[in-house]
Parts: sequence; structure tokens; C-alpha cells
Amino acid sequence: MKPDLMNSDSHEPARRMIALSGPEGVSGGRPSPAEESWLAAHLDSCPPCRDFAENSREAVRALRGIPISAGASLVATTQLRVRQRALQLQRRQERLWVICVCCAAVTLCTAVTTVVLWRGFAWLGERWLSAQWMSQAQFSEPFWQVAFVVFSLMPAVLAGILLLARGTSLADHHGSYQD
Amino acid sequence: MNATTCYFVSAMADENTEIARGLRRRDPDLLDRLIEKYQHRLLRYLVSLTGRRELAEDFFQETWIRVLERGRQYDGRHEFSTWLFTIARNLVIDHLRRKQPASLDTLADDDSTPFDLPATGQPSAFDATVQREQNEKISAGMQQIATEYRETLVLRFQEGMSLEEIARVTGAPLGTVKSRIYRGLSALEPWVKGARL
Repeated sequence: MKPDLMNSDSHEPARRMIALSGPEGVSGGRPSPAEESWLAAHLDSCPPCRDFAENSREAVRALRGIPISAGASLVATTQLRVRQRALQLQRRQERLWVICVCCAAVTLCTAVTTVVLWRGFAWLGERWLSAQWMSQAQFSEPFWQVAFVVFSLMPAVLAGILLLARGTSLADHHGSYQD
Repeated sequence: MNATTCYFVSAMADENTEIARGLRRRDPDLLDRLIEKYQHRLLRYLVSLTGRRELAEDFFQETWIRVLERGRQYDGRHEFSTWLFTIARNLVIDHLRRKQPASLDTLADDDSTPFDLPATGQPSAFDATVQREQNEKISAGMQQIATEYRETLVLRFQEGMSLEEIARVTGAPLGTVKSRIYRGLSALEPWVKGARL
């Protein structure tokens, strides 16, 4: 239900209606025919709201006429930066892919070879080391088990040390890690 | 919905899907086209948020870098421009948070420099001059009103967004968007009156 035409509470609804669906149709949510006729009647009898409607139209016209445009150099610079970043991301993606493939291959190889290695070390520990020169020590089994672990981890530890050294060297040369 | 409307809605959905697909691939050619297509709209919006053209140009570049990096998040269900403006807005807010814990209001008080209006390049016809002066006065008024109002008015009247789209970009409820339009126009009224004198 709409307020009375010139009730003191009727100005704000009228102005909201003007702002949201004014005579120029400036905003969404078209009013119903009844609301439109109420607004028209209110504007006929209310000079301040009529001024508000006129000022709103003027403001909207001015806003649409503000000529802000991007320069060609800004667009070109942005396109160049985006392409460079895209290239960086693509290289990173490729490196990540290689690392994933390597990890998968290593995992597969480890799964296949662990059993063989384990048996091999067991054989060495029990049949050879203990028989030849460790027989008195009574720790042949823990010994070959530790040796197995060290042997298994050594490549990864060495690779980690090498990568760390290379990363530190890159950081020293470039000031930070590069992509 | 008539056949013509259906055709345009379907064409827009296709375009959005195509953009989403291209962004997932990080297709640089697509990004070049998007940058050219949305250059003026995005810059206008950023100038309205920051009030300073130089800062807006920095954000313009950062926005497109972020579009490239986060392109996979765009699902193509909504207008690309809505998503683009949301990214730009979040960048500005992130920037402000890094500077100091603040809202967009900070920018409103940050600088009283009005919108950077380039020379029109038109012959100095009286009407054009008067019009330009009026626009400058209203632009100056835009710089004085609260950033939330300014942002909403720009999205509505310069970018022609629907109320729902504005709500999506700003993260505000629909009722708040309506209030901001009304209050923004009311706040701008003194400058409009001044410009008409």
C-alpha cells in the first residue's frame, strides 16, 4: 500500500522509486502501473521531489558522459605482462608435471625393488657378514636392516643436498628464487 | 521469453562458457581479447574505487594477472564482467588491508583529487564546454561521496549492471544496493545543483 500523496513520509518512497526506476528507467525493477501513476501524481504536487528527479537524471547523464578510457600503452603493457606471467606459469606447470612423473616412477621402482633388496640384504647379513667377520657381534640382523635403510635413503638424501645447494647458489646469483 | 531473447541469452551463455574454457587453458590470445574488450569499463570502475588514475592503472594490470592465475575459478555461469569486477574490487580491498585495516571508505578520504578527466579533444563549442564543466563538477562531487555509493553508482549507471550483478560484485544484499543507489544520488544532488547554476 502506497503512502498518501503529500504525507511527510511519502517523499522518501517517491525518491527511492525515482532512483531505482525513475522516469528515465535508470535502474532495474520497473514499478507497477499503480506505482507509476502514484509517483506521477506525487511529482505533480511536490516540487522538491520533482527537483530530485531532475537532478537524478542530470547526474546519470553526467556519469554516462565521463570520458575515462584506458590508453593504448596501458593495454599493451598489460597484455605483455599477462603473456610473460602465462609463460612462467606454463613452465612451472611443466616442471611440476616432470616432478610428478618422476615421483610416480620412483614410487613404482621402490615398490618393485624393495622386496628384492630386502631379501638381498637379509642374505648378505645372515650368510656372508655374520659368517665371515660379524659372527661374534650378535647384531647382524639389526646391522643389515640399518644398512638397508641407509642404502635406500641415500639417493634421496644426496639428491636433496644437491638440489638445496643448487637452490642456494641460484638465490645468491639472482637475489631470490626464480620461477 | 521470446525467441530473440532466448537467442541472446543462449549466445551470452555460450560466450561465457567459451571464456571459462579459455581461462582454464590460460589461453593468452583469449586474455588479449578480453583485455581489449573490457579495458575502458575496468579502468573506469577502478578509477571510481581508487579515485586516482595512476593507482587504478596499477590495479588494472594486477587484475588481469590475477584473472590469468585464478581463471580456473570462473565457471561461466555468470557474466564474465561480474567476476572480473569482483576480482578488481578484492584486489583494491586487499591492498587497503595491507596498508591498514580499513574498508573502501579509506579511499574516499584519501585524496580529494577529482576524477582524472582527459581533454575531450573536441572543438571548443560552447555547449561542449558547458557540458564538460558540468561533468567535471559532478565528477568532483562523485569524489566526495562515500566510496560505497560511488562504486554502486558507477556500476549501475556507467557499466549498466543490473542490481543483482552489483550485489554479486560488491557482496552486498540487494536491499543494500538499492539503498546505496538512492543515497548515492541524494548525496550527489548538491553537486548536480551546483553544476546547473
